[in-house]
Amino acid sequence: MNEPILQIHDLSIDYPTRVGLVRAVDGVDLTVYRGEVLGLVGESGCGKSTLGAAILRLLRPPGKIIAGEILFNERNLLALSEDGMRRLRGARISMVFQDPMTCLNPLQRISDHVVETIRTHHGEVSKQEARQQAAALIDRLGIRAERMDDYPHQLSGGMRQRVMIGLALALRADLIIADEPTTSLDVIVEAQFLDLLRDLQRQFNLTIILITHNIGVVAELADRVAVMYAGKLVELAEIEPLFDEPLHPYTQGLLKSVPNINLTEDHLRIMDGSPPDLIHPPSGCRFHPRCPHVMERCRVEMPPFREAGLARWAACWLYE
Amino acid sequence: MAEQNLVEVRGLKKWFPVQKGFIERLVTRQRQFVHAVDGIDFDIRRGEVFGLAGESGSGKTTTGRLILRLVEPTAGSVLFDGVDLAALSLEEVRRTRKRMQVIFQDPFASLNPRMKCGEGIGHSLEIFRVARKDEKRSQVLEMMERVGLTPARVLYDKYPHQLSGGQRQRAVIARALVLHPDLIVADEPIAMADVSVRALLLDLMVQLKQDFNLTYLFITHDLATAKYICDRIAIMYLGLICELGTLEQVYRHPQHPYTQALLAAVPVPDPHARRTAALPKGEIPSPITPPPGCRFHPRCPSATEICSQELPPLRPVPGDEGHLVACHPAK
Repeated sequence: MNEPILQIHDLSIDYPTRVGLVRAVDGVDLTVYRGEVLGLVGESGCGKSTLGAAILRLLRPPGKIIAGEILFNERNLLALSEDGMRRLRGARISMVFQDPMTCLNPLQRISDHVVETIRTHHGEVSKQEARQQAAALIDRLGIRAERMDDYPHQLSGGMRQRVMIGLALALRADLIIADEPTTSLDVIVEAQFLDLLRDLQRQFNLTIILITHNIGVVAELADRVAVMYAGKLVELAEIEPLFDEPLHPYTQGLLKSVPNINLTEDHLRIMDGSPPDLIHPPSGCRFHPRCPHVMERCRVEMPPFREAGLARWAACWLYE
Repeated sequence: MAEQNLVEVRGLKKWFPVQKGFIERLVTRQRQFVHAVDGIDFDIRRGEVFGLAGESGSGKTTTGRLILRLVEPTAGSVLFDGVDLAALSLEEVRRTRKRMQVIFQDPFASLNPRMKCGEGIGHSLEIFRVARKDEKRSQVLEMMERVGLTPARVLYDKYPHQLSGGQRQRAVIARALVLHPDLIVADEPIAMADVSVRALLLDLMVQLKQDFNLTYLFITHDLATAKYICDRIAIMYLGLICELGTLEQVYRHPQHPYTQALLAAVPVPDPHARRTAALPKGEIPSPITPPPGCRFHPRCPSATEICSQELPPLRPVPGDEGHLVACHPAK
């Protein structure tokens, strides 16, 4: 699991708006290893989805990568031609969005989606063969055979999301970026989907970046977790150390304010304040106005993101 | 009607006709209905937070709308403070509605984008003609302070898009409270808020409940959140209540296999507690043709023959007062 598949170096992304410049992602360094599930968590506006979209160079205008590099299998994606990038999208890096309806063609049957995907990317397969492969794949996704000729609108949200994962599998993508894949699903369907995703991940040694605001989903599936706050990566660690002993005060507050059905306490801990306005971000550490451990230095100097223990990183002056 | 109950729901049903194309209507005579709510009974006691939980399509939102009489019931009744809303004239319903307010999930959609925040909050004062123009502003400002929309004087003149998500939801809460209602129907009130904001809003809702002597109907799909606010909770599945009781009863001693599955499926923010329990097969069936007998039986691990034939009534769990379950095998 030590073969890096994706390396992001010092990546910064700007969104010029009428009222000012938003630095949505600010100097992010992140490495993703083959075969791991990396959870990318944070609240809305922290830059996690922007980061995910940037890997595929699918930033919505006027978003722009202004610095840094993204190495995928050691190739710099930011130096690729638009054509080269298009060949990579889907085929090598697949994306699963929150709303699968936006990615499936409403006029195409589910089987056609899969067959077409198999044939486009593995050219020499006959139509019949591709259909057989598609049927096997759809069965593996836990969708009954008689549903394979349904149109997307006839499927439930859970089934559509399974199809999306299926398409990524049909492509044998090296990297799957799943942006809030279960957010629109009900809990039981969500749990079923997470089970499927975990099984497939193990069976095919998939590499997944799981972007979500749902800490529970990350706890179920991820091997490592990266926490973002106001465009910055603030903490990165393996899943158990991160939950057992979060280092960054933001991670600490975040984990304490998540409702946990297993605990008997009847009160949620509250984090003071709200995420900052990114047009006028606070000086120094962006979390300092809300931080219970704030020191003088935090107000003026931005803490670097650096090693703060065995295989873990944090951006906080407490761990100098 | 028992004095302690603010709302009594009896045999409540709402069937929506299925829209069909012209040709289809000529060919098939039979009309089809979505059995959104299919005969439910429960009481909401004064001063409690009554939770209504279930997956999408379980009928929880329709139930909330029926209580507010935003939709007309197909059958059954809702007594609000001893009065059957269905028997009232529209004018009387309007007056009663002043005592019941609603908070929806999406604060953006529930605030008029062309109205300043303060005007939006005070709009209902005008509609119900309870305050003169000059009183309105001071009442709104006071309510804004109470819900933490501060500095109130500054925020009064902001438009909804100029507020943060948390502030917008506070504005929606302030608007619901400004008429000093008895009942608040809160339909997924914090589902769109971020984790850190969510805790704040929940806390605020509990505080306001005490300050203003409120009763909440708290509609949610999120059992983990419901735990922090509800006193009692009803679990709905395909238009019916399958279990009802105090939080302790339903969360610690769930009797219905569906409740058990629902509780087990909630993702837990603890990597040491990854779920191992098996999940029910498949998904919630169509409410147009709900399964006969117990609606959960096709997915239920403990279903027996009777479950596919007879609809189990919601009845007391022996030896556990106030705990109701609708399940044949459950003892």
